Amino acid sequence: MIEARGLTKRYGAKTAVDGVTFTVQPGQVTGFLGPNGAGKSTTMRMIVGLDRPTAGTVTVNGKPYAAHRRPLAEVGALLDAKAVHTGRTARNHLLAMAATHGIATKRVDEVIELTGLRPVASKRVGGFSLGMGQRLGIATALLGDPRTLILDEPVNGLDPEGVLWVRNIAKFLASEGRTVFLSSHLMSEVALTADHVLVIGRGRILADAPVTEIVNGAARKVVRVRSPQATELAELLKGADTEVDAVEPGLLEVRGTDAAAVGELAASARIVLHELMPVASTLEEAYMSLTADAVEYQSEDIAAITGATSDLEGSKA
Amino acid sequence: MSATVTARAGGPASGTTAEHTPVQNVTFWRLLRSEWVKLWTLRSTWWTLGSTVVIMVGVALMMSFVVQFVMDEMGAGEMSPEDQASMGGIFGAPTVIAGGYEFAALVVAVLGAMVITGEYSTGMIRSTFAAAPGRLGAFAAKATVLAVVTAVLTTVSLLLSWLVSYPILNANDMALDWSDGDQLQKLYGVVIYTVLVALFALGIGTLLRHTAGAIFTAVAVFLVIPMVFGIAVALASNVDWVLDVNKFLPSVAGSAITPSGAQVPEVLDPWVGVSVLAAYTAVVVIGGAFRLKLDDA
Repeated sequence: MIEARGLTKRYGAKTAVDGVTFTVQPGQVTGFLGPNGAGKSTTMRMIVGLDRPTAGTVTVNGKPYAAHRRPLAEVGALLDAKAVHTGRTARNHLLAMAATHGIATKRVDEVIELTGLRPVASKRVGGFSLGMGQRLGIATALLGDPRTLILDEPVNGLDPEGVLWVRNIAKFLASEGRTVFLSSHLMSEVALTADHVLVIGRGRILADAPVTEIVNGAARKVVRVRSPQATELAELLKGADTEVDAVEPGLLEVRGTDAAAVGELAASARIVLHELMPVASTLEEAYMSLTADAVEYQSEDIAAITGATSDLEGSKA
Repeated sequence: MSATVTARAGGPASGTTAEHTPVQNVTFWRLLRSEWVKLWTLRSTWWTLGSTVVIMVGVALMMSFVVQFVMDEMGAGEMSPEDQASMGGIFGAPTVIAGGYEFAALVVAVLGAMVITGEYSTGMIRSTFAAAPGRLGAFAAKATVLAVVTAVLTTVSLLLSWLVSYPILNANDMALDWSDGDQLQKLYGVVIYTVLVALFALGIGTLLRHTAGAIFTAVAVFLVIPMVFGIAVALASNVDWVLDVNKFLPSVAGSAITPSGAQVPEVLDPWVGVSVLAAYTAVVVIGGAFRLKLDDA
């Protein structure tokens, strides 16, 4: 269980993580989805105490990470495949890590076997491919048989067999009742692996929902409407099941209804339409627009968008 | 494959992890063991420690040949007792045995810096802190392992140096007198000096987090600056402030306890001098510890 409350990280004027609050539950795989630079890695580093939050708190299994007496048994983290001295062999790296928690050599050889590292275990890490580095990072994360796993972009650089292996291992560990928190910038990856998903963009949580809900939501048709009276139209369209996004001044994206309904509504209110187009949205597109919007709200905010602004955080949560 | 993750499929994991994989609390002793493993599993350790021994023993051997050469030239029989006494001052047994200690200290400084900068530059430090999130425990373990290994290594080097130089020194009646407290103090002074230099470099490395920068700084502090001041002292031995600054330089102050202490015109008392170096070292190490603890890894 990971609980973040108002977690914030600023680097000078730049806010990498902006007051995020979320809970990652045990017994399921939680995906952490967001474009590169959205704040995923920073959030994960704060969870294990490598980066100090500017504000807010985060606990793992009820305590701040640093308060645990056996941190590697609480959290196994793959934060960066490069968190290994390049001059050391894979096995020696694991032995050094194991020594801190009095973990037996037997377990070291077990995780080597498990992650398929045996052929390269006595080679120095400097010569490893990205995929081998990832496997070593995962081996290190599993070393203490942890209750919580944090995997930052675990499938990066893995071959298809490795990707499948990571998916299976993540699901298996979650099925044992562990907490598995796995980041990716690929929606498809998260959709395949995760049960629950947190979407982050520009340091803010944009969505926190079961993966099926996000997938269904994304599969809903989007209607693109261009109108000089976009603001008025947005007010009319907003309803229980209808979401309206102001993509740019005069352009709306409507979800939850179809083009015919939008056209009829506009006609009845005598609103001029310049464009009315149903857009079939893929999963990736939905994710892109979700995260791209977060960027726009930061820079354009009040400008011309006026009342048509929909609060993504509110409507998606 | 996933079925073998823990070889105990089934049953909730929470709270029961220890039964399959015994995981103990992190203790200082375990952190020491980890740092010990880390030190000896890098080739750079073997290189630096190996060259320290080679330098120390090689210089001792070389200097004993110089002693033999000087004795042959001058003819020991023609030497006045005063001459012999001054020979002993310059070429006393500790001077010969520890002849290479200044170079050895530089090599040890490289090791001390790399012990920490190697972790920052490769990202290993994040693994280290993930296992020891208190950070200071891991840092203290690192410093302890470095200090102990440096002390043992310097002692072994001195013993080997004593051994290789013994035939010539003994033949010239200059062998180390194990009952002479002054001579022995100069030798264990060398051990203290190299340990402090190693820790000083560790502190610099922790502050800078950069291998080249830390090594450059250590070389400047322990080689270049004293060299410059050595020249300044020779040229301006009547200028008080040059002498004053000189004797408080980390290397010069620390050397007061080594065989080269007596050869400098004005120098602190051995134990005062080495305390000055220890104080500099403490400042740098504590400063490094603050940065290590407070800054993002």
